[in-house]
Amino acid sequence: MKETLIKLFKDAGERYISGEELSRQLGCTRAAIWKHIEELRKEGYQFEAVRRSGYRLIKSPDILTPQEIQYNLDTERIGQTIHYFKQLESTQIVAHQLADQGETEGTIVIADEQTGGRGRLGRVWHSPPGTGIWMSLILKPNIPLKMAPQLTLLTAVAVARAINRVATDLDVNIKWPNDILINRKKICGILTELNAESDRIHYLVIGIGINVNAGPETFPHELKKLATSLKAESRRSFSRARLVREICQNFETLYNIYLKEGFTPIKHLWEAYAILIGEKTRIRTIDGEFSGTVRGIDEDGVLLLELDNGIIKKIFSADIPLE
Amino acid sequence: MLKMYEIREMIKLVDQSTLSELEVEAEGVRIHLKKGAAGTVSVPVEQPVAETQPAKPAAVEQTQPAPAPTAEQESKPAEPTPAPATADVEDENLHQITSPMVGTFYKAPEPGADPFVKPGDKVTPDTVVCIVEAMKLFNEIEAEVSGEVVKVLVEDGQLVEYGQPLFLVKPE
Repeated sequence: MKETLIKLFKDAGERYISGEELSRQLGCTRAAIWKHIEELRKEGYQFEAVRRSGYRLIKSPDILTPQEIQYNLDTERIGQTIHYFKQLESTQIVAHQLADQGETEGTIVIADEQTGGRGRLGRVWHSPPGTGIWMSLILKPNIPLKMAPQLTLLTAVAVARAINRVATDLDVNIKWPNDILINRKKICGILTELNAESDRIHYLVIGIGINVNAGPETFPHELKKLATSLKAESRRSFSRARLVREICQNFETLYNIYLKEGFTPIKHLWEAYAILIGEKTRIRTIDGEFSGTVRGIDEDGVLLLELDNGIIKKIFSADIPLE
Repeated sequence: MLKMYEIREMIKLVDQSTLSELEVEAEGVRIHLKKGAAGTVSVPVEQPVAETQPAKPAAVEQTQPAPAPTAEQESKPAEPTPAPATADVEDENLHQITSPMVGTFYKAPEPGADPFVKPGDKVTPDTVVCIVEAMKLFNEIEAEVSGEVVKVLVEDGQLVEYGQPLFLVKPE
């Protein structure tokens, strides 16, 4: 009911809709309509009511409810089911539980705030309320398990393209394997967890964290040189729901291509967004630090680093610090 | 001559634009970019290959020793992967837990934490025994058998191959 009401108002745009028309369209009394509008006002929707003309929606809140994300969402699977929470410890944990219970592919768990967001190797991921996108996507691809890491690069391309759609003036880059940067500062991290039995993938949970509307002043001092947000880089705010919608659409497009044609077309796009190719860099891995020139990625998505002695080293896991 | 990064830049621009096709001819090189129906860019490279491939990186790749695609050849040259383990591995009474992918082996959920399992621990089929990670994809490996961990065959942080034995378990 609420979804339909919001859709009616959004489709109407500037036009007023009369109480009579609303009650006819929704098949309920005008008193019931009025009650729903009051509820939406509490969520932050602003309506203008004019006698004899009716209502129109003048402002939607920046919230991540399914009705906001799914308005005009053009996908078949990705984002068709959304579990939204005001606050969660971690969207990954809930997504795992849902996937385990048989939740279908494409389902998203999203929270306005995470109290226990995680990064790589148990690092804390700072996810304050109302400013970012903290979401987990469930996938159940029918691919060999050893190909699964490619999906983390695919996700980075999908998010980079989505950010470019809403912020066309910003130059978006990907740092191997899947950090998204603007002006060489991190704006988005992606962490994927796989559940499998021997060689068979049960499901993947792709965690995506994006700093969207956090002001530059909200970053802890030690992070200021390393992390940023869309707002800090562009001096304006963005609709988080629209960005999630763009992610869903871009992800589905790329995912369909990947399932049909494999990683090669995704690799071309990934390289087009990649930072550091051809640059001298130092790479930290668990068994030491290596310096060399980044030569790109191979057909599996593995980073190729040309060491100073000319040997190409394949990197599967690493931190690449940016100066 | 067009540089690789210039071609990448073109792919990115076409990807972000509403263009469906772009053809560029400059200095004897012709590049034709065309977006697929679903919006990705395909790159049929029509220019003479020799011209766009800077000779150096190509040559370097050929100087690579044996092109073992998954090995970390130069970092541990003297270590014939899990050789010391093979004796145990061949013990028919023991179950091997093998790695389903190439990646980094982690014995604990985070650095400094207790390992998931150690020799002597009892496991059930769904006990998580380690994590193998590649490209920030974390795969929690389950024992898939009930029994007792006899031996851990790899070091924390080691690169493991597809199918490489990680643990030996005495089944119950």
